[in-house]
Amino acid sequence: MLFNTLRFFIFFAVVLLLFYLGPRSWRKTVLLIASYYFYMSWNAKFVLLLLTLTCIDYFAALWITSSAGRVRRLALITSLAANLSFLGFFKYYNFLAGSLVQLMGLPEHSFMLSIVLPVGISFHTFQSMSYVVDVYRGEQEAIRNPLDYALFIAFFPQLVAGPIVRAREFFVDLFHWRHPTGDEVLRGILLTLMGLTKKAVLADQFAGVADRYFNNIAANPGSLTAWSGVVAFALQIYFDFSGYTDMAIGIALLLGFHFPVNFRRPYLAQNITDFWHRWHISLSRWLRDYLYISLGGNRGGRLRTYRNLMLTMLLGGLWHGASWNFVIWGGYHGALLSIERILGVGKQDPGSHIRWTRVVLTFGLVCIGWVFFRAATLHDSFQVLDAMFSTTLGTNLILPWQLWMAAVTLLLAVAEEKQGWFEGLVKAPAMVYATAIVLLLFCLELLGLTGKTVPFVYFQF
Amino acid sequence: MPQNELLLRRAEELVREMEQVLAQLRAELTSQGSAVAPKSEPMPHPDDEASVHDAQSRSRYSARDVAWRVVLVVVLFCAIEAAAFHTRFYANQLRPDTTAGSMLMTLTLEQNRKLAGPNQVLAVGDSRMGIRTRVTDRLAPETGYTLANIATPGAYPRCWYYMLREVDPDRNRYAAVVVPVPELEDDDWGDYSSSEVDLHYLVPLLRVSDAYDFSRSFPTWKLRWRALRAVFLKGLSYNVDFQDLLSNYESRAKALQWNREELGRTRYNYHGPTKSVAGLQVDWAAHKITQYPPDSTDSERHELASQLLRPTAIYTGGRAIYRRLWFGRIINYYRGSRTHVIFLRMPRGPVVRPYPFSTKSSVLREFAAHGQAILLDEHTFDELERPELFMDHMHLNEAGCERFSELLARAVGSALGLPRRAGS
Repeated sequence: MLFNTLRFFIFFAVVLLLFYLGPRSWRKTVLLIASYYFYMSWNAKFVLLLLTLTCIDYFAALWITSSAGRVRRLALITSLAANLSFLGFFKYYNFLAGSLVQLMGLPEHSFMLSIVLPVGISFHTFQSMSYVVDVYRGEQEAIRNPLDYALFIAFFPQLVAGPIVRAREFFVDLFHWRHPTGDEVLRGILLTLMGLTKKAVLADQFAGVADRYFNNIAANPGSLTAWSGVVAFALQIYFDFSGYTDMAIGIALLLGFHFPVNFRRPYLAQNITDFWHRWHISLSRWLRDYLYISLGGNRGGRLRTYRNLMLTMLLGGLWHGASWNFVIWGGYHGALLSIERILGVGKQDPGSHIRWTRVVLTFGLVCIGWVFFRAATLHDSFQVLDAMFSTTLGTNLILPWQLWMAAVTLLLAVAEEKQGWFEGLVKAPAMVYATAIVLLLFCLELLGLTGKTVPFVYFQF
Repeated sequence: MPQNELLLRRAEELVREMEQVLAQLRAELTSQGSAVAPKSEPMPHPDDEASVHDAQSRSRYSARDVAWRVVLVVVLFCAIEAAAFHTRFYANQLRPDTTAGSMLMTLTLEQNRKLAGPNQVLAVGDSRMGIRTRVTDRLAPETGYTLANIATPGAYPRCWYYMLREVDPDRNRYAAVVVPVPELEDDDWGDYSSSEVDLHYLVPLLRVSDAYDFSRSFPTWKLRWRALRAVFLKGLSYNVDFQDLLSNYESRAKALQWNREELGRTRYNYHGPTKSVAGLQVDWAAHKITQYPPDSTDSERHELASQLLRPTAIYTGGRAIYRRLWFGRIINYYRGSRTHVIFLRMPRGPVVRPYPFSTKSSVLREFAAHGQAILLDEHTFDELERPELFMDHMHLNEAGCERFSELLARAVGSALGLPRRAGS
């Protein structure tokens, strides 16, 4: 069940009705049943996997709390090993088997299994692992009620594609739940609709352009063609993922839960470090807190810092998908982050002229990274890079009105960066708020793609 | 001393205020900063005085404010949707070579056509209704009636009803409307009731009041839902056209201009293909085409075979229901007006297939028997059912169309009798 379908909105309307009109003692149960139904609507079998992981981490956390010393450590290792084994098997088995087979020169499909990747496995295992680590570190008390913990893992607004919510953030809302205020309801509605518009209008329009290019790279030569295809993908993935996140935050808000911000206008970043402070913030935060810092962070001197950065980003890349393309994408960003550290980029605030040059340059560097993220194979990636820097021009694949649409969103992003119009809109007079909502509705009606539902990009992770 | 007393009292007040602030801070810290489950875990109910009071004190807006904004959104959306898409404002800009655009252009041209007098006859139909109005106009002094044609390729009786309603809203524009059928009997070739193309054609013509009847006329829930969308959210149906308008604004403006100025004249002077399927022979007993037209291509032969030798459908009575509904609506629409409804059997094809159904029913004969409609003699066009006058298995060629127009004008003239004089 995708967020951008009528079926989901009917489901959500039913959940809202049951949640608010049903007896108070039902509420957690309503959310839990709704969340499992949501997950099972994709593939009912994998709910067993979700339940297994939930049970393992629920008991592991209790075990950690009730033990000390080596046993405590053993409990943590058991939980992490279980999570990583499931993730490893479902997501990386074929990748590792394929790489090994290639290395040993065996027939192509030796050791390969026909594995269906459970939707959202990367997200809910990371969320679950962070909880167990927090309990181990003493930053979170183990949850006694198994239903509470199950809801934390399965809560449908963020189950399949984040944001990766920390246990502390979720349980504060759960245990001290309060009815959403009028402001929050208005914010929730606006966020949900904005997210849907980002997905159904902007992301899906640019997806058409990107698909046209990446599905037949050889037939679309020229640097302008390549750049337009890559920029279209950059816009697609941003609007797709941030649209999903906006919807998740908005939907959660309407249910009285507060999710952290996951995107802060990443394409206005002035350098790659800044980009990672704005892009998929909940993952960046997770990688920093549970990987980078665990590896030593920047405590062991420069070389160790660079090594830790590279390792974190390589694993971050691999988290996205099991292919060398994602590893290279992660490595590319790790290298850029290290170079920025060496050069001391971002330590001084430049003038506005230079700031914009930096924004454009950063966007260009991010786009180069996206080539590895989007292309089907390494060979395709290098073919696209070759085309991006070739001397033949080719044609622009993005339609003029789509460019106008992108320009309008850029202006809105700049205005939000400087003025913060979003909060102003929530607090604006009724007519202004209603006009904004109606504008979004007409965008959806007239500029969305009808007849086909394009899945969210991050659902595959 | 009074001054000391004042100072003491002030100090006591300050201590009390600080204690209150500290208590408040402590309460906030325990409620916001703690992820530890309290002893009683059920979520508070919005009816709980504390939680409601707490929520209201933190919000600028009450539930009524939120509801008012939602109502405003609905009203504003409906108003703009109605003004832009439930009028001709956007529909007049539709791309003229799309289903809806071409139909609307046809209807607009007919609506804008100046009538010579009260003796106008209007024909509806699909691509088979090859009337040449330049031919029927020549015969007007003889027959007393002028024919106009709004037949649209791919349109079925459901569309014809809405087209007639659109082009003749006062039900007094025409002396008669001519409605063609391939057979007077209710055969069961194909299921018109589930025709999705109708949804594309009819979007500009549908009114909110049509929602129930129109959506109910489709057999599946999926199509009914789409029909409702076409009635209420017309913008959604125009979505592809709107995006095309953004992409090709200039070329579309030119095309629209040309259609408004030239299409009527071009259609009036139109000469269709002269090619024919002469030489075609079918052995119906052996269910086999014994001779193809000598100059036909492989794809044309394949088309002839698949259409002429298609398997006999099982008679379900579905077509009879469909005809009773939509032809009945056309008849009811003109009931009590001066407009007659005339049904005619089209030339059936270059070779006539023996009627395959053992069950014979005819809604049209029933209508005629009850005096609700006029049936033209079913053999009026028999002479046209020859391979020389057809360009494929169902469409007349130019010679066929011209002869069909002559025969039709005369048959309609004689069916209607003496024409009315202008002003009478």
